[in-house]
Amino acid sequence: MIRLRNVCKRYRTQAGYRVVLDDVNLEFPVGKSVGILGLNGAGKSTLIRIIGDAEPPDSGQVLCDQRVSWPLGYAGGFQGNLTARENARFVARIYGESTRYVEEFTREFSELGEYFDEPLKSYSAGMQGRFAFSVSLACNFEYYLVDEALETGDARYREKFRMAFEERRANASVILVSHNEQTIRRNCDMAAILHEGSLVLYEDLKEALHEYNILQNQPR
Amino acid sequence: MSMLASLTAAREPGQGITPRRILLAWSTQVRVINALVLRETKTRYGNYKIGFLWALIEPLVGVSVFVAIFANLRNDSPGGMPLVPFMLVGFICYGLFRDPWSCMQGAISNSRNLLTFPQVTTFDVILARGILEVLVTFFVLGFLLYMAYLAGFEVRCERPLGVLLVCLLLCILGLGMGFLFASLEPLIPSIKQFGTQVLGRPLYFGSGLFFSADSLPAPIREYLLYNPVLHMIELVRGEFFHEFETAYGSWFYASMWSFTTLAVGLLTHQAVHKRAIVKK
Repeated sequence: MIRLRNVCKRYRTQAGYRVVLDDVNLEFPVGKSVGILGLNGAGKSTLIRIIGDAEPPDSGQVLCDQRVSWPLGYAGGFQGNLTARENARFVARIYGESTRYVEEFTREFSELGEYFDEPLKSYSAGMQGRFAFSVSLACNFEYYLVDEALETGDARYREKFRMAFEERRANASVILVSHNEQTIRRNCDMAAILHEGSLVLYEDLKEALHEYNILQNQPR
Repeated sequence: MSMLASLTAAREPGQGITPRRILLAWSTQVRVINALVLRETKTRYGNYKIGFLWALIEPLVGVSVFVAIFANLRNDSPGGMPLVPFMLVGFICYGLFRDPWSCMQGAISNSRNLLTFPQVTTFDVILARGILEVLVTFFVLGFLLYMAYLAGFEVRCERPLGVLLVCLLLCILGLGMGFLFASLEPLIPSIKQFGTQVLGRPLYFGSGLFFSADSLPAPIREYLLYNPVLHMIELVRGEFFHEFETAYGSWFYASMWSFTTLAVGLLTHQAVHKRAIVKK
């Protein structure tokens, strides 16, 4: 269970305060994968960073009683001048997992080959995404927070990741942020729309996508 | 099971601080700081072929330059102390204060990536840098003194425990400055320049690295003795050399500064870390 309680977040810009989350209350149902839709700049990434506890909300709380991953993006969380192996060991250490297991799993699953011992900054975006997902799969989370990045890598690898994910669907779900309908439709059971500070959850994926379409076509 | 618990304990529904939560939070923090220190070691020293040697070379160059100058300038050793150990103790002990400070101050800005991980906090990334720096400088101190001893210089530590105490005061002062500057740096980037140029320079020349307080003219000494680092360098030499007892170094003054600075540093961190984490 992940529950947002009275979560507020705003940023100060040149033009004054911009409210990103305005007293958001929401409970993510257990075992369901939820997509979060929102226009560019609506605060989707901020929301997922707050859920993942990478950033504190201004007020309010995020409650959860399961293992939640860090927000997975391209290279977020990793050190570019260290190798994939060293980064994997770091993740293993801070999560208290066996360094050897995480290292081995990541090396096998990411299929990076000899690049595994090259600095991360020399990787393409696709390779970085592959690495990030492999490490996170090694850690056995119950919730995976994904920021747009599912679409990285070639089709074959994407399929491999989806398979691995399907396998643990029973005890792992995803909270996925994207403005791409396709991505959400493929990976999620339901969706929420973030718009002007409020977050509304639709149990029916179709309905959510329909609402989102209306929103997208609104003149701004 | 214990892993699962330690990750989620902080955000579990329910109120209050229970012993279980404290224990889990503590174990997470130890794990994270350990991982950060190891990672920091890799990024700092792993990329150079010569690795840790670099940490030795820097103070060695500083000491050599001043030894060369002073050996030609005058023949008597300062306060009866042998010249090379005199310089070594001064320079490396100063490093115990300066190195954690200068290394910690960029901690938040340079570790933004790592803060993506929920269990990694700004406190952890700042402290990890300080710990590594303190460990390295202590190692350098011991190693260079031993080398000096092997090279035939007169190295005899009179009161090792006292030396250790002063060293700790220097570290605490350095950690306090580190926390203060690291917390403010994301909000006021120019504070770094202020630290190294406006504070660092005068401290380097006014902390008795290459002189002792009683060799100064009285009016200058009076002003320089406001500097707590000079007190500490005086104290550490008094504890180290049996030829020398400091007339000016005050334990009380030195420790007041150290602990007050640490308190100010930690309180500043507590006050601004939420804002510092967001600032790009």
